[in-house]
Amino acid sequence: MARAHPTTRVKVRRGTLISVDGIEAAEIVAAARARLAEVPRQRRAGVSLWDASGVFDDLVVAGRDAGAPSARTLLLLYAADLAFRLRWEIRPALAEGRVVAAAPYVATALAFGRAAGLPAGWLKQLFRFAPRPAQACYVDGSSARSGFIRFACGQLSLANGFLAQDVVARARKHLKPSARSRR
Amino acid sequence: MPPRLDNRRLRELARARFTNPGGRRGFLVAFEGADGSGKTTQRKLFKTWLKAEGFDVVTTKWNSSDLVKPIIKSRKAVQALGPEEFSLLHAADFRHRVEHVIMPALWDGKVVIADRFLFTGLARDVARGLDLDWVLQLYQPLLWPDLVFYFAVSADTSGRRVTATRTPNFYEAGRDVTDLDDPVESYHRFVTRVIREYESLAVIFNFITIDAEQSMSQQHYQLRELFREGGKRPWSEWNVDAVVEWLALTRQRA
Repeated sequence: MARAHPTTRVKVRRGTLISVDGIEAAEIVAAARARLAEVPRQRRAGVSLWDASGVFDDLVVAGRDAGAPSARTLLLLYAADLAFRLRWEIRPALAEGRVVAAAPYVATALAFGRAAGLPAGWLKQLFRFAPRPAQACYVDGSSARSGFIRFACGQLSLANGFLAQDVVARARKHLKPSARSRR
Repeated sequence: MPPRLDNRRLRELARARFTNPGGRRGFLVAFEGADGSGKTTQRKLFKTWLKAEGFDVVTTKWNSSDLVKPIIKSRKAVQALGPEEFSLLHAADFRHRVEHVIMPALWDGKVVIADRFLFTGLARDVARGLDLDWVLQLYQPLLWPDLVFYFAVSADTSGRRVTATRTPNFYEAGRDVTDLDDPVESYHRFVTRVIREYESLAVIFNFITIDAEQSMSQQHYQLRELFREGGKRPWSEWNVDAVVEWLALTRQRA
């Protein structure tokens, strides 16, 4: 009998959380959908996306007069959005025994936080409420046109004189170890 | 952009600013207590008195940043917040005010009066069932007030004063965690928990407790006296991390 080739198929269990993290939103969403496509249709719950709560959309409305948010403030808001996603999208799907993909999840936020110079210990504590994924994937994309990190750099650069590309490059370096450590 | 300063140099700058014996340093006073404890009335009287005494005073209120307040308000209106989101959004609002209101005023040598400080977040969030240690982490790096006035009232007094003129709203009454439909009954149950948390925090963080069942004038004159005594306190070294982080941000923004 031929030896089975190492498979990339998702091992289906009751209630499975897959995290997909990366810099570019379009790429991580595509990767998350590809993962879910390997799961039987009746077990698929869908992809939980960044800003499902609309917090960051509302932040843009506040405008520049409200003052540029710091990296710490942005991460507290990211965590609030993630708490919303967990409550309304991820945990209900897991409770129904479905496979749900979170794209992005915690590793993206950790990478941005580290790139912005925040302490690793604080970041780890902040996201303590988020369950560990059964599978953690990282998309090593080349672009950074959209998504949380791109958005966050844009917000910071309003007033801070941050060089967005530096933060993106540093976040990319941090992303892989962060994603691995969450496995 | 100004030259990047290392952490050691920023610490030196912070200490020099807040321990300069020649000048009046920034001073942070927090007013804490359950709803209906009368702290807002006392805060206003206290501010008027401080200004008459020649102090430059800035007031900051809980959940008041231009950036985050609208986000919280819209979600409260549709009762969409779970305990974690509630806690995280208030911590974000607080952080933004620390960076844009509180620290700049302290750096300029002003007296900052905070009508509720991070202890409000701790008391309410723990009363909602969250872990104190996790909630405390959200407020890092911690900025400790020079004085915390805690206005102590019983749950009965708080309930009587709040419900005398209005019905407590959904979150104020803690209906998100009590599962009670009656706002007054829910308020009483929730504020009992909040007061219990405040009493613990008062011991842990060395609050100055004001008996808020006293007359208004008794409380006000007590505050004056306490400020005259406490106003000579040296700057707390515990605050150096918070000042350094803000200085680093400010220099990036300059």
